[in-house]
Amino acid sequence: MTSTELASYLKETQFIADLKSDTKNAVIEELLQPLVDAHLVKSKHLVLMTLKQRETLGSTGIGSHVAIPHCRTLSVSEIHIVAGLSRNGIDFDGIDGKKVQLFFLILAPPQEETNRYLPILGKICELAREKKLREQMIKAQDLNEFIRIIQKGK
Amino acid sequence: MGRNQVELLVLYHDIQSMLLDAKQEEDCMGFTMEGEEKLKEAMQEVERKIETRYLRTFERLKTRYSHPIVPVQDGTCLGCFSRLPTSYNERGRNEQEVFTCENCGRLLYWVA
Repeated sequence: MTSTELASYLKETQFIADLKSDTKNAVIEELLQPLVDAHLVKSKHLVLMTLKQRETLGSTGIGSHVAIPHCRTLSVSEIHIVAGLSRNGIDFDGIDGKKVQLFFLILAPPQEETNRYLPILGKICELAREKKLREQMIKAQDLNEFIRIIQKGK
Repeated sequence: MGRNQVELLVLYHDIQSMLLDAKQEEDCMGFTMEGEEKLKEAMQEVERKIETRYLRTFERLKTRYSHPIVPVQDGTCLGCFSRLPTSYNERGRNEQEVFTCENCGRLLYWVA
């Protein structure tokens, strides 16, 4: 998975430059909403339930102001990513306790044949751990800038 | 009852997928998985709410297929790619009943 391949999953309607939520549950719902609005999700409440169950397994807040809520769900028929930025940060039970400013929501169907889900997840983790890229992504003002930053990654 | 049962089967299936991915996420990506037992309990809670007949079907199918419940798209079972009877579609989309594919026997879930 290259940065350019990852960037191809990001769409204008699936980028939120200024998240309004201030709690973990609310931000998960806010990130999901663009997919619901675009009718890309069969059942919003079922996906919310599954995402919350995933957080039960362990927080997807990976530290350094980044969280990647994700799950496989029968409620979608292909992989979708929603990226979001919070200017003030949100408490997300991240491993380092820091407020989260950079979010990637990833949904994938369980039977996903191209096996892109885990590579995508891995690539996002890799990019988010690069301090310079992470700090630039957090400050991005729009999707084009966000994509340009991602493409600077390996 | 039908709607709840379909949704419970989907949730049960999705939690199982999550547990399968957990090791790779932990080993390769550094996610922490301290809540595995708690999630298993939540899965058992879902399991208890599924009617025995559907749970039996699910578990039986799991011995044959990695995904006992599969999406339906454009009237096609995405498990075996056979066309489903037209009469299934309206009823299936409304989730009033639990359907299985006539060809492969998998449980069906109508996606967006």
